[in-house]
Amino acid sequence: MAPSVARTAPIVSLGFDKLGVVVAALLAVGAASPFAVFRANRIVAGEARPFFEALPAPFAALLALAVFAAAAVSLSKTPARARLATAVAFAIALAALIGIAADCLTPPGDRYARVAPAAGFWTLAFASSILFADSVVRLRLGPLARLLALALGAAAFALALWSGVWSELSILKEYATRADVFWREAGAHLVLAVGSLAAAMTVGLPLGVLIARKTGLRAPVLATLNAIQTIPSIALFGILIAPLGWISVHVPGAAALGVHGIGAAPAFLALFLYSLLPMTANTVIGIEQAPRDVVDAAHGMGMTGRQRLFSIELPLALPVILTGVRIVLVQNIGMATVAALIGGGGFGVFVFAGLGQTAPDLILLGALPTVLLAFAAAIVLDATVELVTGARP
Amino acid sequence: MIAIEGLTKVYGSEVAVDDVSMIVEAGDLTVVVGASGAGKSTLMRMVNRLIEPTAGRVLIDGEDAAGLPVHELRRRIGYAIQNHGLFPHRTVAQNIATVPTLLGWDRRRIAARVEDLLRLFQLDPATFARRFPHELSGGQQQRVGVARALAAEPKLLLMDEPFGALDPLVRAKAQDDLKAIQRQLSTTIILVTHDMEEAIRLGDRIAVMDAGKLIQYAPPAEILVHPATPFIGALIGIGDRPFRLLSLETAAQEVEPGEAEGAAVAADTDLREVLAELLWSRRAAAPVAGRDGRVIGRVTLARLIERAGTPT
Repeated sequence: MAPSVARTAPIVSLGFDKLGVVVAALLAVGAASPFAVFRANRIVAGEARPFFEALPAPFAALLALAVFAAAAVSLSKTPARARLATAVAFAIALAALIGIAADCLTPPGDRYARVAPAAGFWTLAFASSILFADSVVRLRLGPLARLLALALGAAAFALALWSGVWSELSILKEYATRADVFWREAGAHLVLAVGSLAAAMTVGLPLGVLIARKTGLRAPVLATLNAIQTIPSIALFGILIAPLGWISVHVPGAAALGVHGIGAAPAFLALFLYSLLPMTANTVIGIEQAPRDVVDAAHGMGMTGRQRLFSIELPLALPVILTGVRIVLVQNIGMATVAALIGGGGFGVFVFAGLGQTAPDLILLGALPTVLLAFAAAIVLDATVELVTGARP
Repeated sequence: MIAIEGLTKVYGSEVAVDDVSMIVEAGDLTVVVGASGAGKSTLMRMVNRLIEPTAGRVLIDGEDAAGLPVHELRRRIGYAIQNHGLFPHRTVAQNIATVPTLLGWDRRRIAARVEDLLRLFQLDPATFARRFPHELSGGQQQRVGVARALAAEPKLLLMDEPFGALDPLVRAKAQDDLKAIQRQLSTTIILVTHDMEEAIRLGDRIAVMDAGKLIQYAPPAEILVHPATPFIGALIGIGDRPFRLLSLETAAQEVEPGEAEGAAVAADTDLREVLAELLWSRRAAAPVAGRDGRVIGRVTLARLIERAGTPT
């Protein structure tokens, strides 16, 4: 009888969730690694603290419990909703606990001490984000639900900032000393990323339409745009300094408009040039993939070239064009960071200042908003593409 | 009336359409038939100038098609194609309204026309007007495609393999419907197909093309009885000839006085089907019932056999 018992056993026992094993491993590694780093001031080397030293005993116990619970949920085959709830709850606990750790580790009244999240915190955060992303995929959330989730996440984040739970964290101390600069550079970053996108759409869409019609122009135009794409960004900034400097001096009014060899103008121009290829290529591809019969019918029923373009070809190309917009926006948000190297402003200002001062908190002050912005832009545009495409096959 | 005069299209060294002249009478359904590459689509596309001819001209009711702005010309001519070419991002109603909208009809007139056409093609407006093309079956898509082509009440309708994508049962129904609608609206139709069976079934006249040339242009019966070349004979299929000839006539045309046993055949049944019925039920004659169901006479096997051979 023994063999038959052995055979039926696996049916009763809980199967392991494959991705859950990875999440649990990350949780284990995260819990074992330093949770926070304490530094006497912003540039000296820090002392890493594991979570049970960084947090008072009750909170440390809470974190240990949270890690165990999250690992248990992700390992077993639990429904996607339960996994999502676990990921969200764990992320909230983690966010609160790092603030508490910062509060507890900072000696009272010490204005120079810095507490920053350490490898353990980031690993735990990564684990919860995997669990979150995976359960969102399993739930097959529609585009509107994903936008709502993003809005809720942003609201929770803003609430955490406003409530002051994180105010003792090093990155927010860096922020506190340069709040007005931060918002100015945030504005500059957005102008660079979104403005160059808008400029690339204004040029790339008509250019795409043009080379979709005049097939002879297609190869040279796309080859040129491709070549631009291969120039490293710093090199492109460098290349643009000389001509823009010349224009600034010799073209009346150019300097008054802010065109200089260095600064925002070459950064804007470089981002614009990089954006042209995805915008143009996706417009051409979008127009090309309109079914041949549909275009033939449009011809045969007497639509003029313009009517065909605006009422048939562009609407059918819209999902592909929007995908191009998504690529460009996410790429520009990241690349606008480099603009700071030539005085173009943006979040890169903090990254490069931080690098210069070997102040990791300052680097984070530039890097984190950039990542969050790119992430949010990707979610919004993905959802938009789906909403636009959703109405048809 | 459509007069095609010396129409020629040359691509490089290849002659796609070679000096074709023919006249399509108003209200006729003319089928252009030929193998693929015979130039039949090119010929048709020169009528609404989707392809500009190298030489020759097309006169529509005496007016040279080349003299009109090309968009105006096309809006006057209905156009239906094999894979229907419906706009996937527009509803059925919006698709049908395409040409009336281009012509600037007022909204109420367009809505009324769309509704009439949907009813004509047996599609309930309440159910179908707001659907998207991908929510329809192949047969429904095809009907919407033809409805769209007829929307602006064109006097001439061009159809390029309109039934090519349909399965046989749906195709037969679509062909019958087209014939009925054509009679009702008395639209002149030029239809392109590679299928001789379809040509014989639908055509008032058949134009057979081969290698860019028009090799015979005649009513179906004449093509069957006197194919101009062995190639046309092959297209018809020698073995099917008697049956195809029978399929051109209906029971009503061969009815004679007298009585017969068994179930009656309807007067509008074609003779090929009557023959099949007689063979299957082992009868020498069958009663013929008129539209009202009353027996108006009989049709005999002997008469059918006589009609199935070459006229002497």
